[in-house]
Amino acid sequence: MSNETLLEKYSSVLKSVEKPGRYIGGEYNRVMKNVDEVKCRFAFCFPDTYEIGMSNLGVRILYDVLNSDKDIWCERAYAPWMDMKAKMEEYGIPLTAVESGDALDKFDFVAFSLQYELCYTTALAMIKLAGFPLWAKDRGEDCPILIAGGPCVYNAEPIAEFFDIINIGEGEEVLLEICHLYNEMKDNGSYSREAFLRAASHIEGVYIPSLYEVSYNEDGTLKPYRPIYDDVPSVIRKRIIKDMDNAPYPTKLIMPYVETVHDRITLEVYRGCIRGCRFCQAGMVYRPIREKSPDTLCNAAKCLYENTGYDEISLISLSISDYSEIRELTDKLLSWTDQAHVSLSLPSLRIDSFSEELMEKISSVRTGGLTFAPEAGTQRLRDVINKNVTEDDLMNAVNIAFRGGKSSVKLYFMNGLPTERDEDIVGIADLAGKVVGQYYKMPKSERPRGVSVTISVACFIPKPFTPFQWEKQATFEELVEKQALLKSSITDRRIRYNYHDAESSVIEAVLARGDRRIAPAIALAVEEGAMLDAWDEYFDFERWMSVFERCGIDYTYYTSRGFGIDEVLPWDIIDCGVTKEYLKRERSRAYLGVTTPSCKEHCNGCGANKLGGKNKWCN
Amino acid sequence: MVQLTQNHPYITLRVKFKKVGSLQYISHLDLVRTMHKIVTRAKLPLWYTEGFNPKPKMIFAAPLSIGTESMCEYVDIRLIDDIDPAVAMARLNENMTDEMQALDAYYTETKPTELRWLSYRVTLNTLGASAALAKECGALLDSESILVEKKAKKGEEPKSFDIKPLIRSASVSYSDECAAILIDAVLSADASTFLNPEYVVKALRKYVGVLSSPDLTAESWSIMRLEAFREDMTEFR
Repeated sequence: MSNETLLEKYSSVLKSVEKPGRYIGGEYNRVMKNVDEVKCRFAFCFPDTYEIGMSNLGVRILYDVLNSDKDIWCERAYAPWMDMKAKMEEYGIPLTAVESGDALDKFDFVAFSLQYELCYTTALAMIKLAGFPLWAKDRGEDCPILIAGGPCVYNAEPIAEFFDIINIGEGEEVLLEICHLYNEMKDNGSYSREAFLRAASHIEGVYIPSLYEVSYNEDGTLKPYRPIYDDVPSVIRKRIIKDMDNAPYPTKLIMPYVETVHDRITLEVYRGCIRGCRFCQAGMVYRPIREKSPDTLCNAAKCLYENTGYDEISLISLSISDYSEIRELTDKLLSWTDQAHVSLSLPSLRIDSFSEELMEKISSVRTGGLTFAPEAGTQRLRDVINKNVTEDDLMNAVNIAFRGGKSSVKLYFMNGLPTERDEDIVGIADLAGKVVGQYYKMPKSERPRGVSVTISVACFIPKPFTPFQWEKQATFEELVEKQALLKSSITDRRIRYNYHDAESSVIEAVLARGDRRIAPAIALAVEEGAMLDAWDEYFDFERWMSVFERCGIDYTYYTSRGFGIDEVLPWDIIDCGVTKEYLKRERSRAYLGVTTPSCKEHCNGCGANKLGGKNKWCN
Repeated sequence: MVQLTQNHPYITLRVKFKKVGSLQYISHLDLVRTMHKIVTRAKLPLWYTEGFNPKPKMIFAAPLSIGTESMCEYVDIRLIDDIDPAVAMARLNENMTDEMQALDAYYTETKPTELRWLSYRVTLNTLGASAALAKECGALLDSESILVEKKAKKGEEPKSFDIKPLIRSASVSYSDECAAILIDAVLSADASTFLNPEYVVKALRKYVGVLSSPDLTAESWSIMRLEAFREDMTEFR
């Protein structure tokens, strides 16, 4: 099937669904190749809608990397919305790639970027829509090789058996090496699915789930994984790009016609994080920190501006103000962006770094709302999680914002953190009240509007590879109680309270912390129509409870039980850089309420420096 | 042509372009956003609106709805420099895909509101397409009034309106080759009395029973906007 068929044969279908523009492709800057001139066809799938998937920086980078190889044609595929999915099932329309319009069974590789756990059902539903067997063991020689990567695969176990290859860590080099191995084995006639996967397991950063024997103790805990063959690694070490200044970065971006979530230039300033917040998985698994130079970034920005025509550049990193050359970078960019009517935006600003200078420079700060993330309501709990910001920092930041003409701020918090007590929850309301108070400390003439403070509270999920990985998650009932306590503690009408639904946080925890035994439940949910679980309108808690029950799974085993400190963890098969000893150390410090300084101040011996990588701080 | 002065800080380049194929599924709002990026990439000497959030100024004549292709879209772009329209057009075309290409570009002082009529070719690949069915369609479009239901806004009762006065002319034929009924119609394009050609399809569905199969792969239709006219039916330019 080609694009033409989708547009002609199914034009009445397209005219009957919501936002058909997300299914048509044909964008400016997309890469088209001649199928007969490439050795390997690669479909990069994003298990969410086009609008979400097109905004993903990782996909943008890897699309560019793969297509820069003349032997590879990388295309994209996205999840249909539910209305389109129903039509595809009704009329037997297969899932197709956006560029060629070819069904995914025409491809050599079909890869999924797993960015959040609640996308698992969407990925599996896409595998079904493509017509592939769900379980890797059921796929024959003719089926494309299915790959998974992205932050979720630091614990891939719940979905490991649905994929042939798991890419651990950054994909720029690994995916090319996988394709090259494939092309080579096809060329010299040594290719078979089995031989290829076995050979691929020798590539650093490649995890082949089918090559391990997984067994359990009588109490249900895991035994260490055993490779089936001697040449298969017993631990898979994450891959990183060592020199970010010489790392490939797209010079063009595919220009979506329909509006996407992040419809702008995204400039990746650095990878990793120097902070070490104890709840944060990204801050641990993306280590070590590796910065790009202001020159590299500025050149990339200019090139992207000329090739896209976007009027906004967003500087992306885990904590932008920690970039050691932030002033040089913003000055360099502002030397041409203002004149070109291009605005800069800096998401992820830390409270303790917010200054009048930044406020003036950054137009997103000038025009949009401001968001800060204290994460916890009291200093004690902020010390436990190693957030390293104080109430004074927050008051200082909101003061600058208010004096700069802002009248609304948003504050992010978490409920259910380890050691959390009622006073910490009430502390959230108190803190928000103090922010309101700051506004009214200004003379009346300087506050033309009323103030509005929004507090947005997520439920804590103990994620793999964090110092809190062994912690238990608060039960569903506890989370609901905590939310109610906070609600009743807010008496000021100028404070708006949003909170994350506890139900999806529980499921997210199961999927994040689970082992291979929960795979049948995920498969069953998908068989029964689950997809787009990350969307409130399609998340179905009752269905999850039902599939767990029918598969004989006590989900609390993975959530409110917690893991023993010496227990084998499902993700022990992965080495993400930071050592278990470091995580244990950080956990003890958390319980003592002792903070740990950032890498900038001194090295805390997390272990990620063994991966190499050029930076200013690691030894 | 207007000289650039302090009172006239810009001149207006009108670009006629096509928007066909898969781009019929792109909404007007998305087209506007896309065009901003195209003119920026094409490095046209854009005039920017003044104020807090400067934007290039572009005015589109007669927005096109999703599901309609066009060979005659118009956008007026304000420039601060009178570059050769042919050069501007070439640069725009380098920055657009095949399904959207400029067909003409010229400086203008006329208003886009002078566009009064638009002609369309509607192709109905309906089950049972025949010369006889085409005749029935023609008869309907010739009748004195054609009531169709207007798309209701949320919470409102759907209202009927008469599309007949908004149809300047319509001729129906049957194409053996395409096994399709072809309708060539000139419809009102005035902002206050704009007639979306989909209402013609809707009327034919309702009264003649075309495109009535529940199987969405059995039938299809397409609409192509062809030409734009002034009130006196001279070409809109």
